[in-house]
Amino acid sequence: MTRTTSLLTAAALLTLSSVFTAIAQQRAQAPMTFFVTSEPIGDGGNLGGLEGADAHCQALATAAGAGDHTWRAYLSTQARPGMPAVNARDRIGDGPWYAAVRRLDRPIIKSELHGDTLIEAQRGSNMFKRYTLTEKGELVNGIGDPLPMRHDILTGSQTDGRAFTAAADHTCNNWTSNAEGSAQVGHSDRIGNGNTSWNSSHATDGCGQADLEGWGGVGLFYCFAVD
Amino acid sequence: MARPFILAAALMLAAATSSAALAQQAAADRSMSFFVTSRPIGDGGNLGGLAGADAHCQALATAVGAGHRTWHAYLSTQARPGRPAVNARDRIGTGPWYNVRGEMIARDVAHLHGDTLELARLGNNLTKQSALTEKGQIVPGLEDFPDPRDNDWDYVKTTPNSNRHEILTGTQPDGRAYPSDLDYTCDNWTSNEDPEGQASLGAAPAKPNAQIGFTDRNGGGNGSWNSSHGTRGCSQYALPRTHGIGMLYCFAVN
Repeated sequence: MTRTTSLLTAAALLTLSSVFTAIAQQRAQAPMTFFVTSEPIGDGGNLGGLEGADAHCQALATAAGAGDHTWRAYLSTQARPGMPAVNARDRIGDGPWYAAVRRLDRPIIKSELHGDTLIEAQRGSNMFKRYTLTEKGELVNGIGDPLPMRHDILTGSQTDGRAFTAAADHTCNNWTSNAEGSAQVGHSDRIGNGNTSWNSSHATDGCGQADLEGWGGVGLFYCFAVD
Repeated sequence: MARPFILAAALMLAAATSSAALAQQAAADRSMSFFVTSRPIGDGGNLGGLAGADAHCQALATAVGAGHRTWHAYLSTQARPGRPAVNARDRIGTGPWYNVRGEMIARDVAHLHGDTLELARLGNNLTKQSALTEKGQIVPGLEDFPDPRDNDWDYVKTTPNSNRHEILTGTQPDGRAYPSDLDYTCDNWTSNEDPEGQASLGAAPAKPNAQIGFTDRNGGGNGSWNSSHGTRGCSQYALPRTHGIGMLYCFAVN
């Protein structure tokens, strides 16, 4: 099985470049309005709060020529005294959203994204590995790919896109902690931990950069254009 | 993602320290009860009905030493005069189901299909890494060997690593049969016919068609494992036009 997989990977790499080129030429009609950050902020779960995370999205988008949109990180924060909870799903506009490289006719649809109806939840959305690309149009390494694995995506959210209501930390203290706490993550390749959730698969054990890397992530997050 | 490895290590430790009888019990419980067929029957959507498809599952399982179980193909059939519909979800026992490596695919029918909003949003554990054939092979998917020729059966049948991630199900996302007005099952798995001319995806009047899902959860705008879209027809040559070759999910009912 190992040999088959590596052969597959090598052959896929050889042919991918020409495919990328061909498809990239078709994408002009649908500007990128969704991406996974190509790089983390790098301080574990301390993103500088929602503002810091949004600024990271905006900076990466700008570097990729998409700075004319307003970008938001897909992150929730939990209620604190005097501060109500913020739901990731309420921060990202209404969509629909397109990835950097448009491989499919259908974009990401908001109600499908969170499975707002039973049939939408059962069928799933366009959030799968071939669409959860970075702002550079690159695949995010997941299970079965060369290490390091980067598929744990910070969200701090429940599967419906809303903040956790219990007191336990799911947001690295609202994205300010690089030590104590925990972050809820989804999987960009929708593989791992016995489920296929893109936004709420499991919790990390700790908020340090090394803690995140021990769980198969580096602190990447999803960015959506709200306009 | 470290959790499964920790769990696996803990299980191995626990097995080593418990009695041999317990260890054998644990091993038996996780023996293969789910697989994707390593090869198709080869006549498009004509599987010889449910009986033919079940026999294919049973034969492949027997070839790898799992013939002591009763195997059913995950397929629905649509209602016909005098014959009620059959729902795929009602054919596969109660679970839990494990792949050839002992990894759980789903705990039960409700987990497999996402019968509640929370179950459906979280999803089951049927992924590219777990939806293995009875021989333990990963089914090549959307990221493997992309080549324009992978829509051509003459190329695909001699290129075992080309994309073949579409699995015949004839089923709605909840695991139940479609209403009988349009064909979603290649005439209840007896037809290898194609429609006239260039066929669109999905069911349409007088169009032979089969609903499919993806082993790698990639494609069709939704990544559904059991009900993403339809085929362009029911011949063996029609199936690869959307990256399938007529493979089936097989479940042990006992």
